[in-house]
Amino acid sequence: MNDKLQEIREKVLLKLKDVKSLDDAKSIKVEYLGKKGALTEILRGLGSVAAEERPKIGKMVNEVRADLEEKLNTRLAELEKRKLADKLAKEKVDITMPGRKPQEGHLHPVILTLREMKKIFMRMGFEVEEGPEIENDYFNFEALNLPKDHPARDMQDTFYVTDEYLLRTQTSGVQARAMQSREPNTPIRMICPGTVYRNDYDATHSPMFHQVEGLVVDKNISLADLKGTLETFCKEMFGSSVKIRLRPSFFPFTEPSAEVDISCVMCGGKGCKVCKNSGWLEILGSGMVHPNVLKMSGYDPDKMSGFAFGMGVERIAMLKYGIDDLRLFFENDLRFIRQFK
Amino acid sequence: MLASINWLKDYVDINVTPEVLADKLTGVGLEVERVIHLGEGIEGVITGKVETIERHPNSDHLWICMMNLGQGDLVQILTGAQNVHQYDMVPVAVVGSRLPNGMKLKKAKMRGLDSFGMLCSAEELGIDAKLLLPEQRNGIYILPPDTPIGVDIKPVLGLDDVVLDIDLTANRGDCFNMLGLAREAAAVLDKPMTMPDLTVEEKAGGDVKTMATIKVEAKDLCSRFAMKLLKNIKIAPSPVWMQNHLRAAGMRPINNVVDVTNFVMLEEGQPMHAYDYDKVADHTWIVRRGGDGEKLVTLDEQERSLNHNMITIADPEKAIGLGGVMGGLLTEVTYDTVNVMLESATFNGPSIRHTSKDLGLRSEASQRFERGVDTVLNHDALNRCANLLEKMGACETVGGIVEDYPVEVKPVVIKVTAEAINSRLGTDVSKAEMIAILKKLAFAVTETPDGALSVTAPTWRLDVTCDADISEEIARMHGFEKLPSTLPKLEITQGTQKPIEDVKDAIRDYLTGAGFNEVMTYSFIHANNFDKLHLGADDIRRKAINIMNPISDEFKTMRTTMAPSILSTVAYNLARQNDRVDIFEIGRIYVPKELPLTEFPEEKPVLCLALSGRRAPIQWNDSKDNVDFFDVKGVFEGLMDLVSAKDYQLVPGTEPFLHPGKSCDIIYAGKKIGYFGEVHPEVQNSFALSGETYLMEIAVEPLLAQALVVPQYKSVPQFPSSSRDIAVVVPEDTPEADLETVLRKNAGKLLTNIKLFDVYKGKQVTDGCKSMAFNLTFQDKAKTLVDADVDAIIKKVLADVESAFKAKLRD
Repeated sequence: MNDKLQEIREKVLLKLKDVKSLDDAKSIKVEYLGKKGALTEILRGLGSVAAEERPKIGKMVNEVRADLEEKLNTRLAELEKRKLADKLAKEKVDITMPGRKPQEGHLHPVILTLREMKKIFMRMGFEVEEGPEIENDYFNFEALNLPKDHPARDMQDTFYVTDEYLLRTQTSGVQARAMQSREPNTPIRMICPGTVYRNDYDATHSPMFHQVEGLVVDKNISLADLKGTLETFCKEMFGSSVKIRLRPSFFPFTEPSAEVDISCVMCGGKGCKVCKNSGWLEILGSGMVHPNVLKMSGYDPDKMSGFAFGMGVERIAMLKYGIDDLRLFFENDLRFIRQFK
Repeated sequence: MLASINWLKDYVDINVTPEVLADKLTGVGLEVERVIHLGEGIEGVITGKVETIERHPNSDHLWICMMNLGQGDLVQILTGAQNVHQYDMVPVAVVGSRLPNGMKLKKAKMRGLDSFGMLCSAEELGIDAKLLLPEQRNGIYILPPDTPIGVDIKPVLGLDDVVLDIDLTANRGDCFNMLGLAREAAAVLDKPMTMPDLTVEEKAGGDVKTMATIKVEAKDLCSRFAMKLLKNIKIAPSPVWMQNHLRAAGMRPINNVVDVTNFVMLEEGQPMHAYDYDKVADHTWIVRRGGDGEKLVTLDEQERSLNHNMITIADPEKAIGLGGVMGGLLTEVTYDTVNVMLESATFNGPSIRHTSKDLGLRSEASQRFERGVDTVLNHDALNRCANLLEKMGACETVGGIVEDYPVEVKPVVIKVTAEAINSRLGTDVSKAEMIAILKKLAFAVTETPDGALSVTAPTWRLDVTCDADISEEIARMHGFEKLPSTLPKLEITQGTQKPIEDVKDAIRDYLTGAGFNEVMTYSFIHANNFDKLHLGADDIRRKAINIMNPISDEFKTMRTTMAPSILSTVAYNLARQNDRVDIFEIGRIYVPKELPLTEFPEEKPVLCLALSGRRAPIQWNDSKDNVDFFDVKGVFEGLMDLVSAKDYQLVPGTEPFLHPGKSCDIIYAGKKIGYFGEVHPEVQNSFALSGETYLMEIAVEPLLAQALVVPQYKSVPQFPSSSRDIAVVVPEDTPEADLETVLRKNAGKLLTNIKLFDVYKGKQVTDGCKSMAFNLTFQDKAKTLVDADVDAIIKKVLADVESAFKAKLRD
């Protein structure tokens, strides 16, 4: 019996040595260790063996079986690994081929800039308000201390719809609207982004563009507060190394008024083509709200003071993205728009 | 405003470079845009006298000039100019000299003869032809005979001057003249000021009050009208220094009388006018409103039609001038004039502005009246004119001034405190510094017993009317650069935007995520777009707001639909080699309640979107199909999901610019809020769209209703769902939605989802029919469904579909 077992063992080991495929290896396993396999046969035949011999032979068979099973399993694992390796080798792709990219859309650079501006001011606690683009003479001019036939009306070429209605030339009209929609002397901290229109069309002027107006009214608001607020904005918008400079100017609705320059974002203030070698770029107009404007909107200039500012969104977008022609914003060439994110 | 430094030096000792002065003036609010160095590039050009001149023997146009350059020997210079004569004084560019165009003079040989330099024209010296008399523009610049010989040309022609180009703000009318600028320059340089000489000899004697009558009838349009009489006028060129000053200021010298009136206007800021005294009837000047339809021929020989808004200067018989805008031809000063009456008046700015705009006559004078002139100083201008003309020996002045001064101007007195000013500025400027600043600017300041300041503004500072204005004077002179930078000390508030803006932002993010690009188009369109869209004659969108003064018809009509703007943008991009155009814009449309506008129109936010070309960009293994109706519909459905809008209906489209069979109207809460579909082939043509284009326009406001509702969690099913595919063959025109409705209705509560996954026409399907395959998903929250349950439902559902649509189950 022992010889027979050893013979089976030798046979299996020999076969295992030669076996190449996983399937063949599996059939060897079935042939010898399976339900109808050779070793199983022997165990089944134990009935005819003398009772006292049975444990001994049984043990021998199980030893051989365990030994063969281990060797077979090892071989099977080896072959399985090799088969997978072959499969992986065949599945290789050309990783240099382009990927299937999801289509991405792009926001317009003016909207991107506006979003950023809004975000900065909202973080400072400013509310965002809107106003009508078709405005009346009162809010666009008169309530801003600009009576009819005031020479300062020439600062802006106006599109008129009727003698009374016009396309707003500035978002500043929202100043009066904001005050008049509130109880007198209510503190205000708001910005108003919006589309404005001027009758001017060339390489540096668009008949339609965007502004962000800002207004803060409270007790004891000062020109220094205006400077600090705008400095905070400019540093967030253009980076912390940016410097700002206020220059006296004139707007009918602010007194004192100031133009605000930032150190040139292109050259860092050394002087270049963009800043016309001055090192400075004009980016917005501002000032302390004129007492007449407060008065006309029901606020008491002896109790309340405020500052206001207005800036062109396209101007800021041009500086931020290095865009050199204003008209690109409204041509909407997708080769232009797809550059922004 | 062009300010000559040489001229400023007549009043202030300027001891800094023009660039430094420019910075300082900019720093106090007088923005210097450019510093112009006149005569830049000229080197070594000198004056010379033509001693002899004769024809070149070998040329019919060249002349040989022997020039006295003040250096002993005469120098031979050839010229091709034909206006040079013996003993003329001319500018000479000698060998080695340089001209503004960069040319360096060398010895030249012309037709065999040497020329040791060049005689110069004004143009070659860089002088603007507009600033020269016609006779000075062509040929060599002939200098006055008394010009010294052999001296540098630059001071002779004022080309050693530097001019500041100042962008004057509308409030600083007081600086629209040399004295005003000198006053600011003196203040920033801390120098005293020398005032011009106003003394008049009045050799002619007498009293002008007995020789003329003045009546201001329109007192609201003219607050003062003053005149001075100059006898025996001798018209001649004005002196060179005055011509140089005028040219530096951008004005052309003409003759002594015109030049002096211009000079005084530029110096004092007071526009002047000169009349031929003897041509004014009864020597009577009346300031009145124009008669409607009254005519006047102005100096430029144009007949003007007057109206009651125009300030009219008249004698008892007729109009003789438009006050502050232009004089009349009839009373013009000519070479025959003997006696000149000078006018110095204050006219109402808004009226002048109106008149000059209506007539297209903006002038140096009208611009000064618009900004306001100092009424109190009207007399100074008259005296200064007389002083200058007397010094030139051009006249004898009659004694006194005749005037009507109906509205007396009083200086403005403002009470301020140093605390209030510092509080407004956020500064800590001492009261003493404030007083010093104000005094430098000619404000009178006194301290009141309570420690406040009583400030009297000079009469030329028409911009100073309240304490805020005083704070500006302090701020600009103290220095904006010294302002501290602080943040307002305010309560913490929430920075928010309106919910509609949040929705717009969400839509933008959704669409860009879906591959769309945002564009930005003009709010105004050409009205012919309504025709291009085939809008019916009574379509409400034709009722649009028009701009009265548009740039052109292209920019005239405020849009009532965004479709034209977006379609034009698609066409623009399709024409530029884009194989796919996918754009959107959230903009406004402008809907008037009535026309012409009597109240604010509605401005409605609208989303407009368009899609054309390939479904996917060129890729090595992706669809090469073009987009179709279901691409735009898919975007629409995604958008509705985004804003949680469920109860909308899509009905067959009614827009005339869309394909009738491939478009629909969007109905939401019982109202049409938009449409989408394929652009009608004819409209595609009229917008020059090179391919099929799909368009969607939808109002944003109605989408707000559910958009910001936060979704509430529902538990995830614990038991597996069971799904079945069915395919039914139905008549071709059966709407899918109808099938779905019947399926849903009959499948019972266990049905959780229906998906159409195939539509097939052709082999194996009867003609006129289509096969539609659906995947139905069933789910029981309480248990795992067994096949028998689902099979029973499917059997019932199919029977129902069969009877409702004459449908057949497909194998």
